[in-house]
Amino acid sequence: MTDESAGSVSRRRLLTMIGQTAGATAMYQAMHSLGFAAETTFKGPARIGTAPKGASVLVLGAGIAGMVAAYELRNAGYQVQVLEYNGRAGGRNWTLRGGDTYTELGGATQECRFDTGLYINPGPWRLPYHHRGMLSYCKRLGVALEPFVQINYNAYLHSQKAFGGKPQRLRAVKADYTGHVAELLAKATHARALDAEVTREDQERLLDSLKFWGALDRSGRWVKGPESSDRRGYDKDPGGGLSARPVFSEPVALGDVLKSGLWAPLAFGDSYDMQTTMFQPVGGMGMVGQAFARELGPSIRYNAKVIEIQQDERGVSATFEDRAAGNRRETVKAAWCVCTIPLSILGQIPMNVGAPMTAAIASVPYCTGLKVGLQFKRRFWEEDEQIYGGITYTDLPIGQISYPSSRFFSEGKGVLLGAYIWDQGNAMDCSSMPPAERVAKALEYGSQIHPQYRQEFDNGVAVAWHRVPSALGCFGLWTDEGRAKHYDNLCAFDGRIVLAGEHASYLPAWQEGAVTSAHDAIERLHQRAASAGASA
Amino acid sequence: MNAAAPKTVYAVSLAAAIALTLGLVAFETAAQADAGIFDSSPFTTTDGRSIYEHICRGCHMADGGGAVGAGHYPALANNTTLKARDYMVITVLMGRRNMPAFGAKHAIGFGGPPLVLNDAQIAAVVNYVRSNFGNHYTDAISAEDVARLDPGSS
Repeated sequence: MTDESAGSVSRRRLLTMIGQTAGATAMYQAMHSLGFAAETTFKGPARIGTAPKGASVLVLGAGIAGMVAAYELRNAGYQVQVLEYNGRAGGRNWTLRGGDTYTELGGATQECRFDTGLYINPGPWRLPYHHRGMLSYCKRLGVALEPFVQINYNAYLHSQKAFGGKPQRLRAVKADYTGHVAELLAKATHARALDAEVTREDQERLLDSLKFWGALDRSGRWVKGPESSDRRGYDKDPGGGLSARPVFSEPVALGDVLKSGLWAPLAFGDSYDMQTTMFQPVGGMGMVGQAFARELGPSIRYNAKVIEIQQDERGVSATFEDRAAGNRRETVKAAWCVCTIPLSILGQIPMNVGAPMTAAIASVPYCTGLKVGLQFKRRFWEEDEQIYGGITYTDLPIGQISYPSSRFFSEGKGVLLGAYIWDQGNAMDCSSMPPAERVAKALEYGSQIHPQYRQEFDNGVAVAWHRVPSALGCFGLWTDEGRAKHYDNLCAFDGRIVLAGEHASYLPAWQEGAVTSAHDAIERLHQRAASAGASA
Repeated sequence: MNAAAPKTVYAVSLAAAIALTLGLVAFETAAQADAGIFDSSPFTTTDGRSIYEHICRGCHMADGGGAVGAGHYPALANNTTLKARDYMVITVLMGRRNMPAFGAKHAIGFGGPPLVLNDAQIAAVVNYVRSNFGNHYTDAISAEDVARLDPGSS
């Protein structure tokens, strides 16, 4: 099963090996240490000057990349026309709300029956504080932001194989893991096991810091008492009056913590793109797409299915079928084209670009992802379990349960993310089910964590990204080998055509990749147009 | 997409992991033949229909009819391209355009191990598709044939 030659293991191969031996979490962490999660290259508003007189650009796709490009180019004076397959703007930037209907490939139609103000984001749903491109557009377009709770100490970590399948509070797992590790390190220091690594002077400092970091008692132990309960929580919280006295909780033994595997998700909130503070648009991620659509107004032609793209030395033409008019064919032309159609679709559209770009487009498979939104009759996770936002991680096939980061303490119904599936096998299997069955499965699994599910369930929707007609997949799944061979060819101009989107970025799946790739593309476009002058 | 979250993957597919390690072990009971990946059962089935229904159906649909949106998934039903047996095997092994690869040497995961089908499973699903959905090709392929097309695949 191995194919690498001795002494030269590729990064992807290394990741795969780590994944196979140590599981997904280790691989996930390795991905970060190997630099897969890069910072945004956003440098502020697009730096393009004034468009040459009469210069025009055709933008294909009204997702984030397409609308960023169209917005900036229009502001610079270009004549811009956008073609969009869907009847709405945003692309994968999308919010499903009560009253929306969604028909997936294969024909299954779901009607979202959430209450007013409740929603699910089938695609992107959170914005890291350093994704400055997305955040700056939210600010410029008046999209209100609120905190997205990524880490909640009172949410659960759950494994079917640990603690009898009983969910554990993240707070307790984290405290026990840290406390035990701190105690072990302190013991090793006392036993002089670190003499070769740490000077005697620094060992004193290390011991002080371990006591502080791990909440150890005076003797340097992680044991039941005021220090440990201050981290892991109490059996009975301190209060006032005669019933004031707290009851301390008993730490879980080190072996049980290690065996549980629940230490794995502890680091998620430490990764660069999950660190607090994260944000979400008030009312759903789709507010961003809607704001762009308002800005661009009639520049966007909806229900336009692009079926051919052709260029010559004078310009680019795109032929499309008007889905709102019996698939009547029309052709539009411009001097330049920014094409943001996902590669999963673009690879099927005839387009006269050269072999390098053609090969690049064909080289990227698409990730399988799936989300299920569940509406419940009451916010039991808040009322019964004091969970306000954040994420429960589980080794059940649903992967995680995420609680809404808005409208805390509100009366009435609530919607949570009942499944968010990345595991390829689970995602494919679940995508193969009819939508109602996906929802039923999310309920069945989720009720192992929240027994209230059965009593309180109201309705749900399930979006499998390989079934989304305008995407045919979740996002471009690049490999290192693929990037080395094709990435530059994908991003380079071919004649008068340039591509943009998350697939043309090192931020796969993130909207920031779409923003930064759009900026990069239009800056190059402007240079070309400016040097071509008015004839462009 | 989300953004994001690729990184939040924690749930390792037990099935995928076991499929990787057990590879060619094809012992199975009748119940296992129907067990899906999403049920946390080891996906060791070599029943072509079961493999199709748990994996391929997501895109190629229950009737093998494919689908059309902004792009399309090709119909496998009544598909004359499938006459080229090896072409289909290679497509499953190595992927094609946005279709992921399922061969051990070619499959790519994201945040977790990819779903890998071994030679026997690939042979089974190829034979199933080529003899159903209006296809009547009789030259069935064996696991050994699959292995010959991609040496060292599993």
